[in-house]
Amino acid sequence: MIKLLQYLISQGQRTEKNLFPDLPKTCNGQPYLTSNNCKDINCKLCEELCPTAAIQITKMKEENAISLDLGSCITCAECINICSSGTIMPNRSTKTAREERNKLILSNKNLPDTTDYHSQNNSLFQNDLEKNHKKLGKYQAHSIACRVVSTGCSACDLEIAAAGNPIFDMERFGISIVASPRFADVLLVTGPVPKAMHEPLLRCYEAMPEPRKVIAVGTCATSGGVHKNGYTEANGASNILPIDVFIPGCPPHPWSVIHGILTAFNRV
Amino acid sequence: MNPQKMTKELNSLSVSLKKWLKTPEQRLGLISSVNGQQLITLCLNTTKAETEFWETEIQKNSYPSLTQQLPLCHWFERLNFDLFGIIPEGHPRFKHVLLHEEYEPGFFPLRKNPKEQIKYDPCHRQYQFMQVEGDEVYEIPVGPIHAGIIEPGHFRFSCLGEIIINLEIHLGYLHRGIEKRICEVPIQQVRFVVEAAATDTSASNALAHARAFESINKVTIPQRAILLRSLALESERIANHITDLIGLAGDIGLIAVAANYSVLRGQTLSINDWLSGNRFLRSFIVPGGISRDPCKNSIIAIKKISSSLLCEIEKLTKIFLSNQVVEERMCNVGSISKSLAEEFAFVGPTARACGITYDARQCFSPTDDPARGIEVATAKTGDVMARAQIRFQEVLSSLKLIIQICDLLEPGPYRLGINEFKELETNAIGVSIVESPRGELIHLAMTDENGKISRYIIKDPSINNWTALSIAVRNNLLADFPLCNKSFSLSYGGHDL
Repeated sequence: MIKLLQYLISQGQRTEKNLFPDLPKTCNGQPYLTSNNCKDINCKLCEELCPTAAIQITKMKEENAISLDLGSCITCAECINICSSGTIMPNRSTKTAREERNKLILSNKNLPDTTDYHSQNNSLFQNDLEKNHKKLGKYQAHSIACRVVSTGCSACDLEIAAAGNPIFDMERFGISIVASPRFADVLLVTGPVPKAMHEPLLRCYEAMPEPRKVIAVGTCATSGGVHKNGYTEANGASNILPIDVFIPGCPPHPWSVIHGILTAFNRV
Repeated sequence: MNPQKMTKELNSLSVSLKKWLKTPEQRLGLISSVNGQQLITLCLNTTKAETEFWETEIQKNSYPSLTQQLPLCHWFERLNFDLFGIIPEGHPRFKHVLLHEEYEPGFFPLRKNPKEQIKYDPCHRQYQFMQVEGDEVYEIPVGPIHAGIIEPGHFRFSCLGEIIINLEIHLGYLHRGIEKRICEVPIQQVRFVVEAAATDTSASNALAHARAFESINKVTIPQRAILLRSLALESERIANHITDLIGLAGDIGLIAVAANYSVLRGQTLSINDWLSGNRFLRSFIVPGGISRDPCKNSIIAIKKISSSLLCEIEKLTKIFLSNQVVEERMCNVGSISKSLAEEFAFVGPTARACGITYDARQCFSPTDDPARGIEVATAKTGDVMARAQIRFQEVLSSLKLIIQICDLLEPGPYRLGINEFKELETNAIGVSIVESPRGELIHLAMTDENGKISRYIIKDPSINNWTALSIAVRNNLLADFPLCNKSFSLSYGGHDL
């Protein structure tokens, strides 16, 4: 036991000081649309390659109007790799959660709405966050008890669990994962909610005291992802429960998970 | 690989299968069907690295069950009933596995005509648990939603005092219809669906899928891709095994050890980031090679992280597993004997912990893959401690393999032309066997006369191993169940598909 304690003390502090940093350059991140027009208006490679039909191209007079639904995107990065005109670029920001479903649908013709997605423009915001970290007051207004209901492939669950590890340490924001819906403030739903999970999920929600919030974690919970419209009716949680916050990503990064939970309580 | 195709008569099937399984190097891969009118049996020969594909016609959707003579068939026969409506007559514990009361009676999704009336339906959709009777025997239902952050499944314990007499596991909550979806999507997009089967083993699934398609089209992939795929597979194995060690440490109550393991797991995921740009290696392995080529700096970074992990994990695990509390909790708990493991064909670390040396990397990897020379760690006791030890040994050997691969890598092509997999050969069968972190993972793809996928089977290692859990916990303390459960590391999503 003494050996163990010695080892543990020697490890020091591992917690990340920089809050919500961008993903490293090696990561694919999520796609976003820039103001660059398509070089060839007949090129529809991204639309054809997209496995979940998240990209839709409508031809306008001399340019293409593209819409990109991050709620369906499984971040395979095929579109980013194939795009030669710089219309679709990687966005490595971890602040991806949105409160409304239609805010996840990006368009290259409606850019002001999506600028806060662009990590480049986030440097000012970033400094604010770092200042705030010293005070931490903004984040620690009161604690948040979360209940996780997993209905999917376990990637989102692993990322939620990782958000509790010493590196991301969501408990410093007052977020804890609880074992019963009876004392939970937030329900985190992961996965596409196949038919057999409809009732258990609903019963878990009904067991929660009000006021209660629901967060859809990941693309499957938002729209069903690759599973939608099958015989198992796995079309995401939004058909079953009212969703307060959507966290896109397949799976979302632990920072995005924490950001999403804080977004639900207007703390970012 | 392309299996040798054979036709077997129904009345000789059980005799031939028994004969095949007489020698330990010959195994049963899977039993399934294409559209409900036949049984297909995949048999593996691990020394020759060959497979045989047996097709058996069945009449009127029923046949005499194989389970009574060969217990290892029991789960496959139940799965076949769920998906195809094929009834194994005389199966000792015949119930649904995947599709329960939410689905209308008589619906069999993969049958040629899913709503066709079958002869009769011997089980109701309503699930009937086995009742244990006797004075002071009580039941504890757990799930489908668990207390922690885990996938859903229902456990029904029958207990006498603190002792578990029987555990029945009710699965199927995660059934998302993946095998059907694979047949519906264009062939270039199958890999995304396959990866979503169980994302903690997405690299294994993607690798098995890629190899199955490559064997259908009979192409060989560049050496650089073989090495980097092997690297991805090992990295995934390390992350999974560390996740299990986190679970074990957490359940014993050594939260600080669990926290340290999770930091180490984070470092493993950063290997994946350097390699593929994704923490779970998604969309990295594709049919024909790999989707992106990591630069020289990435390989240097991977090597550096692996070397430091090697030393850190050894240090922490030696302290962890020699701790007295840990020994007390993990030794002689949840034991499985070697004969039982052979009888039910358990795979992966579960089987190796009871002394079975089977590791699919040794026999079914491509000939110039360094993973063929991996040393297989085995133990004898078959308890929780043995499984933890096996995981620890495998993490070490995987890290050594990663360092070895980093040295072997030479620049070169990493992917065949994109057009190589626009179409598949017609009327072909492709089989691939991959050692995923949980054990032997089999993908079987069949194409029809138009080159479309007519059937795609994923046999996750958990299909073999769920039985191991329900047997291992018998006569153990209820409080030891979480430890047993974590030590088997079973996948719900991979099983339910």
